[in-house]
Amino acid sequence: MPAPNCLRCLARPPPGLATPVPRTAAAASPLLNRPAATPIGTRTRAHAAPFSTTPAPAGPPVKPATPVGSGGHNRVGKKLKLGKFKTDRAAERSKVPLPGERKAYRKRITLSNDNALPVPWLADLTPSSLADPANTATVMGLPDSLQDQLRASDAFKPSQSWGMFRKPAVLVRKETVDLVNRMQDAADKKQTLRLVVTGDKVTGKSMLLLQAMAHAYLNNWIVIHLPEGQDLTTACTEYSPLADTDPVQYSQPVYVFKLIQAIKKANENLLSKMYTAVGHPGLPQSITANTSLLTLANVAKEPDAAWPVFRALWHELTHRSVARPPILFTLDGLSHITRVSDYRSPAFELIHSYDLALLRLFTDGLGGSLRLPWGGAVLAATSRSNAPRSPSMELALAQREAEQLQREVPKKDPFFRGYDERAEASLRSVQVLPVGGIDKVEARGLMEYWAASGMLRATVDNKSVSEKWTLAGNGVLGEMERASLLTMRV
Amino acid sequence: MVFIFGVNFNEHKLVKKALESFYALGPQKSVRILAKYCIHPRAKVGTLAPKTVTALTAELSTMTIEGDARRIVQENIQRLRDMGTYRGRRHAMGLPVRGQRTRNQTESAKRLNRVDRRG
Repeated sequence: MPAPNCLRCLARPPPGLATPVPRTAAAASPLLNRPAATPIGTRTRAHAAPFSTTPAPAGPPVKPATPVGSGGHNRVGKKLKLGKFKTDRAAERSKVPLPGERKAYRKRITLSNDNALPVPWLADLTPSSLADPANTATVMGLPDSLQDQLRASDAFKPSQSWGMFRKPAVLVRKETVDLVNRMQDAADKKQTLRLVVTGDKVTGKSMLLLQAMAHAYLNNWIVIHLPEGQDLTTACTEYSPLADTDPVQYSQPVYVFKLIQAIKKANENLLSKMYTAVGHPGLPQSITANTSLLTLANVAKEPDAAWPVFRALWHELTHRSVARPPILFTLDGLSHITRVSDYRSPAFELIHSYDLALLRLFTDGLGGSLRLPWGGAVLAATSRSNAPRSPSMELALAQREAEQLQREVPKKDPFFRGYDERAEASLRSVQVLPVGGIDKVEARGLMEYWAASGMLRATVDNKSVSEKWTLAGNGVLGEMERASLLTMRV
Repeated sequence: MVFIFGVNFNEHKLVKKALESFYALGPQKSVRILAKYCIHPRAKVGTLAPKTVTALTAELSTMTIEGDARRIVQENIQRLRDMGTYRGRRHAMGLPVRGQRTRNQTESAKRLNRVDRRG
């Protein structure tokens, strides 16, 4: 393409400049002899030829006073400006949260709300109150020391609405009294209660587990709680094979280390008053007989030593020669452990959850092969919202429930291959506690507590209780909460 | 910072990703190495015991990765070139080898197909 302006034309005065240069333009130009560029649209232009190859002005362009006609090729067009709407993102962004901060915020547990009204008639739990049928359908508060213990053992969950009330309180329901009485009977007879709490979504299974733990803490039991089955089986924590085990078992040192810390914190009073029956020379710090169990637990100063210390602690707690308190061993999220885990063995085979040493201990307790000599309970709760498929567990629980009710026992599907023999074996003789909706009396007690806390701003009468109870699928606790507490409608 | 096989890795890096950063070590091999040393898949480099780090380095030094693996590829290409095959010529010219069109979209071929192949 030829250049629009020829170089020779630049040196020569343009033909239109034969007439005198306007004074202003000449004065402005530093080179007086040189014909200055003429601003477009000045008088000179009028004399210019209709078509000219006049070069573009060299000086700063002056806007024409009048719009140029169709011949204005020099008009400056629209310019593409990239990113004109972009703002400085770096300046806008506030401080990025530190690693782990978001998760801590997501998992935080608030147990009190200063804006909620204190409920004057709210009584605190006493050692016997959960076992007393007279307390059914009442809401009872958790004493402060118990709150600390439950918090230390991770019994509260972020999804539960503790943060709406002045202080944490629980509804005593028929199932609670039933469960607690069964636990107490077993402990009195130095037997082990083996029970699975099951039921639909948000019916209060984890809450029932929490109440069982509350009862155990108040009655000076030793409580060991595994808050989530999935923490142990989804390959999120360290694992290492245990020597001298055949078939090989795996310990989870970091998890067990944290568990020992939790046990220590929650059961500190009891552990400091109990003393070892035998010596434990194999630990990193040699423990002689007649040392307090708290000292024994303190030996686990790093994850590597955690599993031997836990074994020693368990051995001491279940020692037959010294009187020990009953033990409550609980786990939430059963379906995560009744299957093959996500861990791999060095031979690249998937490890069954029951080959993880800590879970082996729990499932042995649940299956009945491990006895607690001083009595106690091994409890598990199923979860319905975060639960992988576990056909064996579903079938076993359905079978046990049918056996309890003396109905026809469901049979295995002969054409289905997804069953897990080991899971079935461990659930062959457990008791099942089905949890469903609460009845209307309990619903009324709960709603009165909500209203007294100022969280439910409605009259609590038979009509409103019935309405919420029905809305919640015949009194499913979580749904009642959704229908009345967690809604913005007043 | 943790040294594995002569490379310095940040403590917050996943062990799996650190292993896969070596040439010719992909997801298939890395999960097997992790299982062999009982490292869980979400482990970070910083949590490894010094003993495990040494074992990993020893394991990697027995494998055909990085320079050895690159050399094998280069030798294969050089063999094709020496025989004077069509594939060898196409490699030398930096053009697609397997009958793809060359009118456009040959960036990968231009980048990769050469006798002294790097990547």
